[in-house]
Amino acid sequence: MFRTKRRAVVLVAAVITGALLVVVLVAGWATSGKRDVTDVNGNPNAVLYTAGHRPLAPDFTATTLTGSRLSFSSYRGRVVVVNFWGSWCVPCREEAAALAVAAQQYAPAGVAFLGVDVRDTTASAEAFARTFDITYPSVSDSGAQITLDFTAVVPIAGTPTTLVIDRTGHIAGAVFGQATYAELNTILGQVDGKAAAR
Amino acid sequence: MTDVRAPEAATTEPRLPGGPARGAQGLADWLKWGWRQLTSMRIALVLLFLLALGTVPGSMLPQEGADPAGVQQYYTSHPALAPLLNHLGLFNVFAAPWFAAIYLLLFASLVGCVVPRTFRLAGSARTLPPRAPRHLARLPHSAEYGTTLAPDRAVEVAAAVLSGHGFRLRRPDDPADAWVSAEKGYLREVGNLLFHLALLGVLVSVALGGLFGYKADRLLVQGDTFANTASALDEIHLGRLATDADLGPFTITLNRFTASYITSGAQRGQPASFDAQVTYAARPGGPSRTDSIEVNRPLSVDGTKVYLIGHGYAPVFRVTDARGQVVYDSPTPFIAGTTGNFLSDGVVKVPGAQPEQLGFTGVFVPTWVDVAGTLQSAFPAAENPAVSLIAYAGNLGMNSGAPQSVYELDTAGMHRLTAEPKLLLPGQSLKLPGGQGTITFTGYVPWVSLAITHDPGQVPALACGIAALGGLLLSFLVRRRRIFVRARAGGPTSTVQVGGLARTDASGSFEAEFASLAAELRSAHSQHEK
Amino acid sequence: MPVNLALGHVSNDFLIAALVIYSLSVVAFAGDFAFGRPRRADATARVRQAREPATALAVVGAASVAADGASSQDRPVVSGVGGTQGTAAVPPAADSMPELPVPPLRAIGQAGPWIRAAMTLGALAVAAHLTAVVTRGLAVHRAPWGNMYEFVTALTCVAAIFFLFVMIRYRAWALGVFVTGAVVIALGLAETIIYTAAGQLVPALQSYWLSIHVTAMTLATGIFFVAAVLGLVYLAADRYARRISAGRAAPGNGIMRRLPTTEQLDRLTYRTIVFGFPVWTFGVIAGAIWADQAWGRYWGWDPVETWAFITWVLYAAFLHARATAGWRGRRAHYIQLLGFASLTFNILVIQVFITGLHSYAGVS
Repeated sequence: MFRTKRRAVVLVAAVITGALLVVVLVAGWATSGKRDVTDVNGNPNAVLYTAGHRPLAPDFTATTLTGSRLSFSSYRGRVVVVNFWGSWCVPCREEAAALAVAAQQYAPAGVAFLGVDVRDTTASAEAFARTFDITYPSVSDSGAQITLDFTAVVPIAGTPTTLVIDRTGHIAGAVFGQATYAELNTILGQVDGKAAAR
Repeated sequence: MTDVRAPEAATTEPRLPGGPARGAQGLADWLKWGWRQLTSMRIALVLLFLLALGTVPGSMLPQEGADPAGVQQYYTSHPALAPLLNHLGLFNVFAAPWFAAIYLLLFASLVGCVVPRTFRLAGSARTLPPRAPRHLARLPHSAEYGTTLAPDRAVEVAAAVLSGHGFRLRRPDDPADAWVSAEKGYLREVGNLLFHLALLGVLVSVALGGLFGYKADRLLVQGDTFANTASALDEIHLGRLATDADLGPFTITLNRFTASYITSGAQRGQPASFDAQVTYAARPGGPSRTDSIEVNRPLSVDGTKVYLIGHGYAPVFRVTDARGQVVYDSPTPFIAGTTGNFLSDGVVKVPGAQPEQLGFTGVFVPTWVDVAGTLQSAFPAAENPAVSLIAYAGNLGMNSGAPQSVYELDTAGMHRLTAEPKLLLPGQSLKLPGGQGTITFTGYVPWVSLAITHDPGQVPALACGIAALGGLLLSFLVRRRRIFVRARAGGPTSTVQVGGLARTDASGSFEAEFASLAAELRSAHSQHEK
Repeated sequence: MPVNLALGHVSNDFLIAALVIYSLSVVAFAGDFAFGRPRRADATARVRQAREPATALAVVGAASVAADGASSQDRPVVSGVGGTQGTAAVPPAADSMPELPVPPLRAIGQAGPWIRAAMTLGALAVAAHLTAVVTRGLAVHRAPWGNMYEFVTALTCVAAIFFLFVMIRYRAWALGVFVTGAVVIALGLAETIIYTAAGQLVPALQSYWLSIHVTAMTLATGIFFVAAVLGLVYLAADRYARRISAGRAAPGNGIMRRLPTTEQLDRLTYRTIVFGFPVWTFGVIAGAIWADQAWGRYWGWDPVETWAFITWVLYAAFLHARATAGWRGRRAHYIQLLGFASLTFNILVIQVFITGLHSYAGVS
């Protein structure tokens, strides 16, 4: 009696373990391998979202550093580069020049640049803009509300983060971290379809 | 003490601890022997000792999780010993593989013991108590008296009494025999098993929490708002299987922070209370509520808890550069040092100053006193605040390279502007030499540091802990015991013998129960004689 | 609410009074050892002996009749079904019923004048001790175990009350000198080395969990305190018993022959630990709940938490040892004493010298 009972216990344990193993394998297979993004220039933190898999950018209204109200929906119909930055952030300072140049070069094509200034104050932010010749506007997001809204659709993990939004208001490309000029160029080229104006 | 063992209750202790029985040396036999050893009480005892011993270095040496600065200090003070200890995993004992091996083996031993016993308990619930032994007088507890009732009648009465006390009865197969066997106390084993299984449940809950939970920190200046998102948090530690998407999307605004301190007596300067008034919204667009976070009173938002961990002062500075532009105007959190009474250190970095970047190192004192030329703080509340600054100009090193700490100034690329630290009271300014600009100390605001934690294993761990306690109490309070009653005919009176046996009663409290039961049986018999 | 310093001084006065009366009680217990007359064995033992051959009974009876206060028959037997009777009487063979317990006060009365005095003094001392603890609580408007001084005074009070209860229930008068002596030493330490004036608590301790967690730990520590003293007595008695059986000691030693049998001491210690272990477990759980409220995590391997865990594991090992062949007896008691050592280490060393979140001892 005891022998067969032990065998029964062992059999049950083996079946349960096998079932768990199958579940784990299936779950691992199912969650791996997203086919809806491609890396830019080999950098896993710079991605392009394939058409049909682009998350919708949330709308927001905020105050610019100069004090005027700005509504994000007013940018619908244009390609917008949204850059999350702060004057305290060293990589932001490193990529500022690239963003400034790209903004000027893509302006004739109608591409807009918009900064979202996080955890900062007006005086420091304005000084930053002066230092790096940033001519495009920035909105203040000291309470991280805009960041929170965007984090719901794309995994914003830190500052800086640059998002490229297409004409329909969907996020087509993103750089999670410091953006290089080359990456911005590649993404904008894909999204806009037109090469950078010389 | 003689102990009548029922066959189903014997715990198998291996006779030959040196190896399996002779003539059976195959791998299966060795595995079986190994398993029997692992699930034996002796090995469980050894493992318990090892667990206790293994925990000791975790409390004596600084641990990386709780005190990384202490670990660094240990390296500097014991340069030869520290790498060796690190190799052995002694700076992170509770995550070390050898520690995990100990408690995993212990739990394997536990499971290997508990599961068969559960089967046995289920089995014993179906089997009857054993037959009454012949010589009840040989049992550790026995009583004997005479009664005028016939033997079988006496046994009936006894059975009724015992049944009334909740005993399970067994009657003889042969109707000519006059005895009854009674057993009680199965709940003890239930409690025992529940306790051990609940411990396993605690382990699983702790693992779950560690895997799927997260901990984060954020320093928040009074008046500011923050949202619980990865980029807005100062530090975030995710469990292995947790992602940024698990962060609950709430926002918190620190409306007002007040700290009160004891102003007189032996405990002058000790904190009396802390209170952070906040407004929070569980999700963007959701309803906002106000609440206060205090020590011992965290804020609970959608399953995440926000704790008030610390606080300090953030003096507000306004910096004008050489060109007359206001390039900095912000509260700057200063961190309290170890000297006490919230004497705090901090740094002001002004990368936007033209033509040269400016930097300041400073000391904020909430209640300042001059003690022989050094600045000291007399009381932790800001009764007489002041700030002392040293100014630098040059390259802050922020335009490229590694990210810097907000609380440290790298003066490698800078030259010092002020020869002496300058003390400023609220409203006062320091004019920098060479027309580099001015810095004004405009006031101060408090800041709080919040800890945000999410632990899905918390509630299950508590439930298992309570279950363990319940099982423990059950296993201690309930005793498995047996009562036997035999009646023998002997002329005009029958002799009634009562015997009692407590199987798991090493504590000796069965004596009183047996004595009162025997007395009750006797009085029941004498009542029925009438 | 401000601290009532006057009441704090009253509390301290009562504590000193308790200390003095405890000391007198220790003297009275010791006096019983030295001058008390031998006590009778209880009826249960005699009922068992009734089953032995009659010759043995005659020998035993003769020895007790010839007793001059120096025979080994004078061992008082600790038992729940105890009590004293008159001179040895062979019970009738036809009718043997186990004795029901004698009421406690009568038992004290029959134990002799020294024990009567010691118990009276002990009761007075406990009353003063309890008053000291209560007035301290009233002085600071909270549960009086917020720093080490308060903790030690409270736990020794628990130990004393618990031990009085044990002593009366099991008629274990001989153990009085040891436990009361230990209480005197602990209180002496509290008064001199770790004394802290009545004061307010830091905000982290201002919680109703103080009443729950620290109360449980205080109770459990007091109970384990008693168990540790009994364990030491057990080891001494066990060593003595083994020396007798090895022939190296005569069974005439003054203190030793007054003690209960090793089996009874073992059972008593076991029951004490069985009482304390769930309380300690509850205290650890309550502490975890409080830690979660205050520090943001229910278990962080803080040094005090870690040593409370070690203590728990060691007492669990004791309970396992009693069920393991070859580990009962002396070895199990070594484990139990190791557990109490880790508990003491936790209180006196870890909380004072090792900084962690738990450093509220208040001792500088």
